[in-house]
Amino acid sequence: MSKLKLGFMPLTDCAPLVVAKELGFFAQAGLDVSLEKQNSWASMRDKLSVGAIDAGQVLAPMPLAGAMGLDAQCSDLIAPFVLSRNGNAITLSNALFAALKLSGDTSLPLSANQLLPLIDAYKTKGRKLRFATVYPYSCHYLQLLSFLDSGSIKKDDVEIMIISPQNMVLALRSGDIDGFCVGGPYNAKAVRDGVGITVATSIDIWPDLPEKVLAFKKQWYLKHPDIANALIKALQGACRWLEPSANRFEAAILLSQKNYLNNPVDIIAPSLLGSCITKINATPRTIPAYNRFTSSTEQNGNRPNKEEMLKIYRYFNAAFRSPNGTQWIEQLDLAEIYNTAIYDRATDWRVNPTTSSNKSTLNFASNVASSMHQNG
Amino acid sequence: MFEYPYKGVTFLVSIMEKRQTLSINNKLKVLLVETDHHKAQVLEDALQKSSYHIERVSHYGMPLLKQVEQSEPDIIIIDMESPDRDMLESLNRISNAVPKPVVMFSEKEDQSTINQLVKSGVSAYVIGGIDKARVKSIIDVALARFSEYQSLKNELKLTKQKLSSQKHIEKAKLWLMQNRDMNENDAYHFIRKTAMDNSQKVEDVAKNMLAMAAVFDG
Repeated sequence: MSKLKLGFMPLTDCAPLVVAKELGFFAQAGLDVSLEKQNSWASMRDKLSVGAIDAGQVLAPMPLAGAMGLDAQCSDLIAPFVLSRNGNAITLSNALFAALKLSGDTSLPLSANQLLPLIDAYKTKGRKLRFATVYPYSCHYLQLLSFLDSGSIKKDDVEIMIISPQNMVLALRSGDIDGFCVGGPYNAKAVRDGVGITVATSIDIWPDLPEKVLAFKKQWYLKHPDIANALIKALQGACRWLEPSANRFEAAILLSQKNYLNNPVDIIAPSLLGSCITKINATPRTIPAYNRFTSSTEQNGNRPNKEEMLKIYRYFNAAFRSPNGTQWIEQLDLAEIYNTAIYDRATDWRVNPTTSSNKSTLNFASNVASSMHQNG
Repeated sequence: MFEYPYKGVTFLVSIMEKRQTLSINNKLKVLLVETDHHKAQVLEDALQKSSYHIERVSHYGMPLLKQVEQSEPDIIIIDMESPDRDMLESLNRISNAVPKPVVMFSEKEDQSTINQLVKSGVSAYVIGGIDKARVKSIIDVALARFSEYQSLKNELKLTKQKLSSQKHIEKAKLWLMQNRDMNENDAYHFIRKTAMDNSQKVEDVAKNMLAMAAVFDG
């Protein structure tokens, strides 16, 4: 058995890691995995960087931040496996929702331009609505910006700050923030606690793009390619197990345990079962893909897809564009960061090598092979 | 309903402006965010009070942010495992108004310091452009003291584990002596052989044995 330390964040979409551990997918692949709970993305990043953990569940844009030189601690992160899609939502405080004065038959998702009159009214008083999200290099932050943009609301029209998921509901309750964009189970928690209304899910904003990815340092991969392969195989098994809805409630029970989410099943299960609870005592919205662990389009559902990563890159670039307007994409090799070659080798998945986008990944594969050879 | 209790993220701009006029002779203001009282005391004792002004807080979430605004520290030292790290270090990253007020110490130039920081479970954020050498000296003190504290804590944990495993083995021996008519030496060898035959730890065999005994003795 190969020992392995794997970092996870206590959020609903860490399900593949927990399922792989609890239902024996890791053990079957010859891995003795210890799951290491992280309290912040900063600690996930730092521990990956110094090798205190071998691999981890990271936000899909984090490796981009490293490759673009925005965060040195994120550099050389390779993400060969998409762990989850969707799963985030925007929740507004009761007070903000009431102040919107929506008519009774307004249907959800809320369109962002319904916030405009209030934002304008505030502007004259020198105030701004304040939203929170979990990390700058996250889909959450970019989705929040996309949502606002869809209502012609600019980033500077509101205040956006970072709060950890576990402190989010408290901040909404205390009136420190007017709304947030966060992952499960914290939207459902805000609704159940009666402090917020979930007005839009990430599917309403960006359908089905990657949310969390498995990542490790390039240097680690070069030393442990076989362990990486086994890890990918095991996680693929777990993601497939999570596919049928019949298994989802069981997953919720596993996740609710103290060493994982340490939260009640009644806030973890709904999103896993395709239900978005929106408001206390209201009929939930049916969102079948609220938490997706395999792709709906790719036959091999966890393989990073370059087109999807390019979409995320575009949102990312718009949010973090350098002052001189540089386009980073020319210096980036997305297929190396979101590495399909490693995925293919781990899962024996062969792609048609004639398309140009695959060339660079195959080049990287041979580079990896030759540097492994050099390292003996 | 929408009265904000504090000025929000823009406060960092004002900190930046003030920091630019900070004189070298001023005491550095250290905000120590720590819920573990002993750990905080260790650092406080180690830092010379003449060179640093140390303020200790145990807030988290938004109240911590308000404290940062109020205290205007030069350096924030916070537990590596604190959920508030993302909040503290990200303030500048999404606000165009602030160039780079919060950096985790030596983000680029000194990877080994970062490695040590992570291993000793501490993270440090520097606000504004204060003198690097002065920052380095406080980080070094923090590192040394926290590593020491961490190793003492680990040692204590190991000792406790040893004691408890010893206790299990002693109990298992006693049970064998009373119920299987063995002397102490035989009892220990029996436990050790069982452990070796099943490639288990002696302690685990003793525990299993006691659990079984509890069932039979009912």
